[in-house]
Amino acid sequence: MRRVILCLAAALLLGGCGAKQQPASAQIFAMDTYMELQVYGSEELLTQVEELIYSLEKAVSVTDEQSELYAVNRDGAGELGELAAGLLTSALDMCRRTGGALDISVYPVVRAWGFTTGDYRVPEREELDALLELVDYTAVDFDDACVTLAEGMEIDLGSVAKGYAGEKAAELLRSGGVESALLNLGGNVQAVGSKPDGSAWRVAVKDPSGSGYLGVIELSDQAAVTSGGYERYFEQDGKTYWHIIDPATGCPAESGLISVTVVGDSGLTCDALSTALFVMGLDAAAEFWAANDDFEAVLVSESGEIYVTEGLSERFTPADESAEVTVIARD
Amino acid sequence: MRVIKTRTWIIITASALAVCAVLAAWLTLRGAGGTVANIYRDGELIMSIDLALVTQPQTFTLSDESGTNTITVERGRICVSEADCPDQVCVRAGWLSGSASPIVCLPHRLVIQLGSGGADTATG
Repeated sequence: MRRVILCLAAALLLGGCGAKQQPASAQIFAMDTYMELQVYGSEELLTQVEELIYSLEKAVSVTDEQSELYAVNRDGAGELGELAAGLLTSALDMCRRTGGALDISVYPVVRAWGFTTGDYRVPEREELDALLELVDYTAVDFDDACVTLAEGMEIDLGSVAKGYAGEKAAELLRSGGVESALLNLGGNVQAVGSKPDGSAWRVAVKDPSGSGYLGVIELSDQAAVTSGGYERYFEQDGKTYWHIIDPATGCPAESGLISVTVVGDSGLTCDALSTALFVMGLDAAAEFWAANDDFEAVLVSESGEIYVTEGLSERFTPADESAEVTVIARD
Repeated sequence: MRVIKTRTWIIITASALAVCAVLAAWLTLRGAGGTVANIYRDGELIMSIDLALVTQPQTFTLSDESGTNTITVERGRICVSEADCPDQVCVRAGWLSGSASPIVCLPHRLVIQLGSGGADTATG
């Protein structure tokens, strides 16, 4: 689909002296977003990362009639290849872990709001209630490679696919001996190692209320993913409707949060939790964080208050030095 | 002798001050607007604008078979002020002036990006 590539790096990499500091890099349009990939030390592995992203897109696109997932949604059942099966397994785990705050079967509701096409509309309550009958990740029957959906149900892995792609790409790069790479899959950031000079990558977190940035996170060998209400939205009769849908109500999540950034070792976990914590709201998100130990988070309320979990507080620097940052601690 | 010496010192000091002033002005300009906006279509660089050098607000359009984006530049910042894409995500992105995420118009495969500005990349 929209996949046009620009490889900048070959000449620089082959250029001899001092070339070590120049990454092989590519900009691609894939998985419905814009991606920037920088890999230090291997152009061959960069190409493999691009191929991995395209393979995953081809397997789990909900709009490409040739995709494995499209067939599953159309026929109510089907078989998935290894890559898509791995993604579905992890996605269902995250649905369970978040008690359904993330639900991959919310797709028909998201479509009713027009977020899949840009033809935005506010559906009637009755229409939403009817669609919500179909939303239930526990009704996805997945055994090895075979998926069976309940009647009328459709699933979309878009809320976790980019995080998964970043995670798999990082595994590929690490096993190929790459010690330094930065992959930005449409705001899903995945770091491999640190910068070539050994210092951490500096990742700016977008300011949800403006065009600048909220702060900078220092990141090494981890992923950072943000979900924000400002990314995709429309306004009607003075009210803003954004694309993060609460699977419990079928409406845009109004939890009091406007932006959630999750940092952790697993890109998929970060991707899934950025959405799920946004839906949960501050208090439930803080409780969820306290009960788990595989991620940290920056949460911003609609009134602009910034909250950072304990383990990230040393690595997060607000852009506005006078900004008050509340640290969420485990007792 | 004494007079010449004093005059020499005055000239040296004045020259040094002038050099400093020019340097300071240059650094301030670079630091403040400090950024070149690069516009890409299909990943290919189609235009670079040094935002520090923009004196008057300007508006221009970028079109191809997929549609049209109207770009507005002011000193130090740039935005998509109008577009005929269905999702309007590029217009809602607002002004780009810091080191935040690029403005992306997916339907038109258009990307507007500023120089790094301190961070290596951005999330959100």
